[in-house]
Amino acid sequence: MKLLTHNMLTSHVKGVTKGYPLIIKATEVKVNELEFNAQFVSRMIPKLEWNALIQAAEWLGRSQDLPSTLIPNYENDEEFLHKVHRILLEVEVIEGCLQCPESGREFPISKGVPNMLLIEDE
Amino acid sequence: MDEAASHLERDHVHSVYERIAPYFNDSRYKAWPKVKQFLLEQEPGSIVVDVGCGNGKYLHINEDIFKLGCDVCRPLVDSAWSRGHEVQLCDGLRLPYRDGCFDAVLSIAVIHHMSTKERRIRAIKEMARTLRVGGRIMIYVWAMEQKRRKFEKQDIFIPWNPNPPLSPALRERGNGTQSVSDDSASSDKHKKVRSTSSMLDESGDLISPGQQKQQRLWFFSRSLDSVLDFTSLTVSRSSSSTLQSPVDEASESRSRRTSSRGLIRQMSSLFSSSSRTSLEEDVFISDPNEQVHKNDNRSSGNGNETVPVELVHDCSAVPLPDLVSYQRDQSTLEGHVEVDGKSSQQEPLQRQESTASLLESDGMSGQSSEQLKDSCLRYYHVFREGELTQFGRTVGG
Repeated sequence: MKLLTHNMLTSHVKGVTKGYPLIIKATEVKVNELEFNAQFVSRMIPKLEWNALIQAAEWLGRSQDLPSTLIPNYENDEEFLHKVHRILLEVEVIEGCLQCPESGREFPISKGVPNMLLIEDE
Repeated sequence: MDEAASHLERDHVHSVYERIAPYFNDSRYKAWPKVKQFLLEQEPGSIVVDVGCGNGKYLHINEDIFKLGCDVCRPLVDSAWSRGHEVQLCDGLRLPYRDGCFDAVLSIAVIHHMSTKERRIRAIKEMARTLRVGGRIMIYVWAMEQKRRKFEKQDIFIPWNPNPPLSPALRERGNGTQSVSDDSASSDKHKKVRSTSSMLDESGDLISPGQQKQQRLWFFSRSLDSVLDFTSLTVSRSSSSTLQSPVDEASESRSRRTSSRGLIRQMSSLFSSSSRTSLEEDVFISDPNEQVHKNDNRSSGNGNETVPVELVHDCSAVPLPDLVSYQRDQSTLEGHVEVDGKSSQQEPLQRQESTASLLESDGMSGQSSEQLKDSCLRYYHVFREGELTQFGRTVGG
């Protein structure tokens, strides 16, 4: 699971109103190299919940001095874009779980795939 | 009701897909051109989700967008993962995504597996929820009105065939068609129309004058876009509270389709020789104007005349009711194709030229494949023309 994906994921347990972002508890993380595409990254940034990304990076111990708020004119800051590219797309959680911040329910991640299936009652 | 619905889906959708997942990597399961086109049209930097992504066959299209896939079927999701896609396990009725985070959503041949209207609407609502204002959703489902097939009911069970045999004629045409489509990837519609029309001629001979066929095609073009006859709805989520756009979008995309029918028929002809949705075993040439004669002498005929929807839970023992006898009728008329008396559950695709029977090898190879077939009955709800659009209107609010 990449952090770009994580940014979209939320807890959908019944009754939960503050299920985002899901807390990442990773036991295995991999870093893959992926071709950098500045336009792709800079277009992705406005679609993110930036705070959630910062938190996610922290949970993985990879804050990498990412700014807590977006800098203006980030589209032209190559260094910044590279950092974002890395944290969004190159870092992957292979094993671990995602925890609902409100209910505590844990969704396992195994072999890179989060299992977000709920049982009937949830 | 919801529990029964979910059990039905568990038995006749989820567990079947788990069993047949290994076959999904066959070359017969190709990406559909319209879906590919939809993805290629997305702006660079878009985020798209494929709900019910299967083994992720659409997730590689368009490098400039970020794609997520999700499905309930673990083997398929694992397969998609192994191809390098970002995928999750989840239920289409409860998507684990935050509101309005996607620029586009795909639902390709998914919601026709949901066994109640309420669930289908819920699925669409969920997808709409995750779609940003102004985003687009593409939904593909089976259409009830088809030129080659006559569904008597909207809720049906379709057996899945692991080894769809191809007649020489079909194989030929299939190959020819496929190579044409490869060549004409740059959408040379003229070519496509040509290849499809050759198919029409062949089938046209069987039942009715080619012209009639063509006219009927035109008439049914709204829901009958392909041999496999899928109806599709491309919708834009508007910011107004009533979703006016679906109707317009749908008609717009329909009129676009009418003018680019060649493209769609090309897609369909790609699949006529494949078994992508296991229709091969039960596709037969049917002239909607002709009466379907039921043949009661069939030994397999255990209640195959009609299967009321309320008895769906018993249906796994019953062969697909709609298709049984017309097929035999054809073979009697044509005298070309051998019908194996023992083959009970599958109906072959009949072509005039075909001497090699398209009968399922299953039918001839005995017990174990019979069992596999029995256990691989997939539930489908086929959509009447306009039904999907109606859902769109219900959802928009």
